[in-house]
Amino acid sequence: MDTFVEQFPVVINALNIGFLQTLKLFFVTLIGALPLGLIISFGSKSKFVPLKLLVRFIIWVVRGTPLMIQLLIIYYFPGLVFHNNVWGSNETGRFIATAIAFIINYSCYFSEIFRGGINGIPVGQDEAGLVLGMTKKEIFFKVKLLQMIKRILPPISNEILTLVKDTSLARIIALQEVIWAGQAFMKGSQGISGEIWPLFFTAIYYLIFNGILTVILGKLEQKLEYFK
Amino acid sequence: MKKFLSIVMIMVMAMSLAACGNSAKTSTTSNKESSVDDLKSVKDKGKLVVGITDFEPMDYKDESGKWIGFDADMAVKFAESLGVEVEFVEIEWDNKALELEAGSIDCVWNGMTLTDEVTSAMSCSNAYCNNAQIVILPKDKVDSYPDVESMKALNFAVEAGSAGEAQAKENGFNYTAVNNQASALMEVSAGTSDAAIIDSLMAAAMVGEGTSYENLTYTIGLNSEEYGVGFRKGSNLTEELNKFFKTCYDDGSMKEVASKYGVQAALAEQQ
Repeated sequence: MDTFVEQFPVVINALNIGFLQTLKLFFVTLIGALPLGLIISFGSKSKFVPLKLLVRFIIWVVRGTPLMIQLLIIYYFPGLVFHNNVWGSNETGRFIATAIAFIINYSCYFSEIFRGGINGIPVGQDEAGLVLGMTKKEIFFKVKLLQMIKRILPPISNEILTLVKDTSLARIIALQEVIWAGQAFMKGSQGISGEIWPLFFTAIYYLIFNGILTVILGKLEQKLEYFK
Repeated sequence: MKKFLSIVMIMVMAMSLAACGNSAKTSTTSNKESSVDDLKSVKDKGKLVVGITDFEPMDYKDESGKWIGFDADMAVKFAESLGVEVEFVEIEWDNKALELEAGSIDCVWNGMTLTDEVTSAMSCSNAYCNNAQIVILPKDKVDSYPDVESMKALNFAVEAGSAGEAQAKENGFNYTAVNNQASALMEVSAGTSDAAIIDSLMAAAMVGEGTSYENLTYTIGLNSEEYGVGFRKGSNLTEELNKFFKTCYDDGSMKEVASKYGVQAALAEQQ
């Protein structure tokens, strides 16, 4: 397998498998971290001081340490400290550990964005709602939530695009995402060894996917333009 | 109120620090106790989890996606002799000792050079293969650098934590540590480093005609070294594997497997 034409389909196939793992991690993180982030943002705004402090402390730790270290801690600590490797050694176990680390990390970032979004809504709307006899829950879901979503869409879009690229960190605990798949051909895999181009070619995958996301998020922003 | 908050914060931090200290202590003590009977735990779970990387000709995938190679085939045979299944798990090479200690793998069996770092972090089997660290240079530079002395003028790229890095240190070379051996070759190919130090077994597969690195070639060997298999510290599987190697070496089956992957010349005699 010496010529590029022979190598290309083999490499693309391997990169596709890797990128599927990347996508899986991306969507699982997003689905987990968006609602969890909202819950955490309530916690960090809570009037119950110990809860608020605890949540702020967790946010501080999670945002203050590298995601790479968090991945290592979540995957290796149960085995190292408690002698019980809860995740399992195979790809599924590594994926679950990675997904949990990513969800915790991203929900903390999302929570701060949500907090900013909620705080940004004028307090007069709360007062008006109360005067009209709405409950706090109604005020949040019927009045404030959609306005908040509109306001936070640009910073959330930023985080989402970063998330796509951050998935590459998962290779530190040997999750075989697309960069791992590309790098395998540098050492030797499936009869192709010492090839550099597959590693750099992975950038195309990220670029195209982020392009698609940018379009979708832009459309979403336009749709929310109807109220100002 | 502010004072109260800061006291609470200090207490939380102190407690988390204390928690770290405690867990570290318990882990070292229980390590000594629990690590003795890996043989039993492997038999109980019915499988031997082997940590590998994609590394031709030791561990690599055939067209159907099955792991083959000299190391992979021997690992399968060893697991058979124990009466268990074998499970290959790809690991990040830098984290091999961490994977062993955390119990996500039972052994590292992947053309691992027995350096001081490896032997102090793991319980290692007898050497089963001989290897060397060799210098890789661009073809057009080979003639200007015939020996170690002249090479001191060069900037080397080596894999971080590898036997190659140890050699670079020992010979007093200027070097940059990179991610893996393939990256080291890329550095030389791209001209960002002048030379690289990699395994001779690896060099045979990756450098020269028919590879991406046709412009590179290998020159002098810096040392000779040996490959071994790593287990958790104090593991009784090490002894088990040594016995197995001896049997396979004596009955010729080890040589047979080695010939299949072209490494028979490198095989080390088993005592």
